[in-house]
Amino acid sequence: MFYILFAIFLIIVTLFLRLIIGVEPRTLVTLYLLGFIIFLLSFTVAEMPTFGSPDNPAFNEVPRRYLEQGVAETGAVNIVSSVIIDYRAFDTLGEATVLFVAIAAVIATLRSH
Amino acid sequence: MPLSDLTRSRGGKIPIDDQIVRITSRLVVPFIQVYGIYVILNGHLSPGGSFSGGAIFGASLVLLALSFNLEAGARQIPHHAASLLESGGALGYALTGLVGVFVGSSYLANRIAGFPMGQPGELFSAGAILVITVFVGIKVASTIVTLFYYIIEGEK
Repeated sequence: MFYILFAIFLIIVTLFLRLIIGVEPRTLVTLYLLGFIIFLLSFTVAEMPTFGSPDNPAFNEVPRRYLEQGVAETGAVNIVSSVIIDYRAFDTLGEATVLFVAIAAVIATLRSH
Repeated sequence: MPLSDLTRSRGGKIPIDDQIVRITSRLVVPFIQVYGIYVILNGHLSPGGSFSGGAIFGASLVLLALSFNLEAGARQIPHHAASLLESGGALGYALTGLVGVFVGSSYLANRIAGFPMGQPGELFSAGAILVITVFVGIKVASTIVTLFYYIIEGEK
């Protein structure tokens, strides 16, 4: 029942846009594709786990280890620091490399002018 | 008005030639720099760390250059010094990681590599984290300053 009503609604909207406002067919296709993408994305967002809920899939043994053993293993009271500079130090090295490459590219581009 | 228009309007000099701005920034810049150093050094104790602290320190130098002029600002950190600090920060990070390899554990190891851990919660604790934070902070600050100077001078 809902789908039939929705199809009738779409047909009416299409006829209204095409005949009365005079929208190009190409624009109509674009609009419907955009609407479909918006529908898909909002559906995905609605299916995502609640923010901060303890039974999220992200809250597994890894953050538990960081929270319980972080101070003893790294000596840093700031858990964020102990993650980015101790547990994930190699990732931060890559981040610093990205920064270095970016500044090298800027200097190479601006010096040539 | 974009900065480039302002720059061009007075023959390449930064146009904020104002007594109030100059005096205020001269008063404020030391505090911003101390705060930046504080954020970097307390990266393992409090919110913040190398990236944010370096950004604060770099912003203070940018403020100095904006409120006086480019020549006075460039005298604070010359070009070759900025690029030395930049490369030195990245190199120091990588070399600090190599300590772990030479001691016999993994790359970028901290406690296992034998860095002095200290008492958790004190300033000199957490071994390699403090060292790496200082290196990355230097690198980020000099990145911001170098980027600023090269873009501003590109407008001339």
